[in-house]
Amino acid sequence: MKIAIASGKGGVGKSMLASTLAILFSQKKTVVAVDCDVDAPNLHLWLGESEKWDEIENISVSEKPIIDNKKCIGCGRCVEICAFDALRLNKNKPVLNQFFCEGCAACKVVCPAKAITMKKVNNAEIRIKKNVHDFPLISAQLYPGEVGSGKVVDRIKEKADRFEYEVMVLDSPAGTGCPVIAALNGVDFVILITEPTPSGFFDMKRVLTVVNHFKIPYAVVINKWDINPAESNRIEKWAKDRLIGKISYDKKIFQAIASLKTIIASDLTAKKEIEDVFINLRKMLALHKIEQNS
Amino acid sequence: MIQIGITGGKGGTGKSTVSVLLANKYRKEGKKVVLCDCDVECPNDYLLLGQELKKAKSKVHAQFPKLNEEKCQKCELCVKECRSNAIFQAPSKYPIFLHELCSGCGLCWHLCPNGAIEIEKKIIGEIFVNQIDKNFYLVTGRSVGVVDETGPIVTKVREAALKLAKDLKADYLLSDSSVGMHCGVIRALIGVNLAYAVTEPTPLGSHDLKLILELLKILKIPSKIILNQADLGKKELVNKISKDTKVKIKYEIPYSKELVFAYSKGKLGKVNIL
Repeated sequence: MKIAIASGKGGVGKSMLASTLAILFSQKKTVVAVDCDVDAPNLHLWLGESEKWDEIENISVSEKPIIDNKKCIGCGRCVEICAFDALRLNKNKPVLNQFFCEGCAACKVVCPAKAITMKKVNNAEIRIKKNVHDFPLISAQLYPGEVGSGKVVDRIKEKADRFEYEVMVLDSPAGTGCPVIAALNGVDFVILITEPTPSGFFDMKRVLTVVNHFKIPYAVVINKWDINPAESNRIEKWAKDRLIGKISYDKKIFQAIASLKTIIASDLTAKKEIEDVFINLRKMLALHKIEQNS
Repeated sequence: MIQIGITGGKGGTGKSTVSVLLANKYRKEGKKVVLCDCDVECPNDYLLLGQELKKAKSKVHAQFPKLNEEKCQKCELCVKECRSNAIFQAPSKYPIFLHELCSGCGLCWHLCPNGAIEIEKKIIGEIFVNQIDKNFYLVTGRSVGVVDETGPIVTKVREAALKLAKDLKADYLLSDSSVGMHCGVIRALIGVNLAYAVTEPTPLGSHDLKLILELLKILKIPSKIILNQADLGKKELVNKISKDTKVKIKYEIPYSKELVFAYSKGKLGKVNIL
């Protein structure tokens, strides 16, 4: 069973919830946790872990065109067809803007002089901790300035699949684009977490478009509900029986994380509230026949 | 005209809030400002300013593949070559294009030896312009439906905002980026004279601040740090990064109930604290 936590808006509590749920699940089942926010991975911090990894593997998820200027006839065809504006003609020769290039190889295919070859680039690393609270954590870092976050997410999901697990907990990145689509593709259940602000509510509905596209059943959690009870109420009414919990705002959460202390190990109100979320989540998973014997 | 990028790596540190606060500061100084919301996946600046996105000023199109079954020889070349894994083909069946994974790069139709892949134009984004007052315009980009590759929408909204700013002879063009460091963030920042990295004084904020400062260095963009909710958490974490990277902290914004209230009520346009 694969469960993803998503939100649209950043900083609303995805990693906090994902880390705590992973620990709670691990008390009953075998778990693997996956940090799909490969731009800015934080799940290890929420799990009370430092930057020390058991395994680091360099990977290549993208290619870049190498242009042989001796063969190039300066026709400009590659510049014309590039869907990402990554090529420009300068003195009749194409110049690559590496930051815009997606490595799709369309330029190579259209070049009549066969002047373009594709070269793999090392653009990310997969990082593994074998035993965090008795389960493995798979994380990754896309190197700054590189492209291909969605493909890195695909790779870590494949990696995580090779572990033995009953529950895979996936922490999605913010937004709605390629890494989010990659994170949500193929999961059995999504928990949407939001905060009671217009931005939080709107952005959750934006990512719901992706969830609905894949026809994934979902539940809703409101974080920091007490910073705006009226807006929280609006979200509750909208979510109806999909609401599986509310978490209160607590400044002390940052002191806990600063000392790499998990929520489960703390005496924060959030601990009890997320335990309630966990109970409701399992009821809902049973209802959808996603998790049996719960 | 000065172009400033607002970014930060981590989500929820206050990029949009800072963007509006900066706009407020410059307007108060009598300057003309265009704010460009480049977070096309989840644009929020209009909400903070109490605006609505009504009628799109322009649309952003992209091209996608469409199969002509009469011409297709089921050779599987497109399936093998697609870097996005967006083409699926069961044995002896026609290939199926998975729109939600397709970047619209065009490799497949350029490659197909039988000319069996046609091009279908689709709307992937919309651009909105809101005039907030005489000297303040907001340009917003927003993706439409499920879009895998949102980077090109960012480039288009940046172009539209730049054109508007030039036409208006604006003094400042502010470019509010999305979270992370991916292509959409890079496209929001390319061409700015200065970038502000907005962070919070937590291990999470500082972890991501280091990454975004590294990216800004690679992009050769001069940068400064803005520390939001400066009085919550551990400020020394950010001070250390500032010292190590020699990137100065430009503003410290303390936590304030007034700010949180204005944020959630769409009244941030009236707050002057920078």
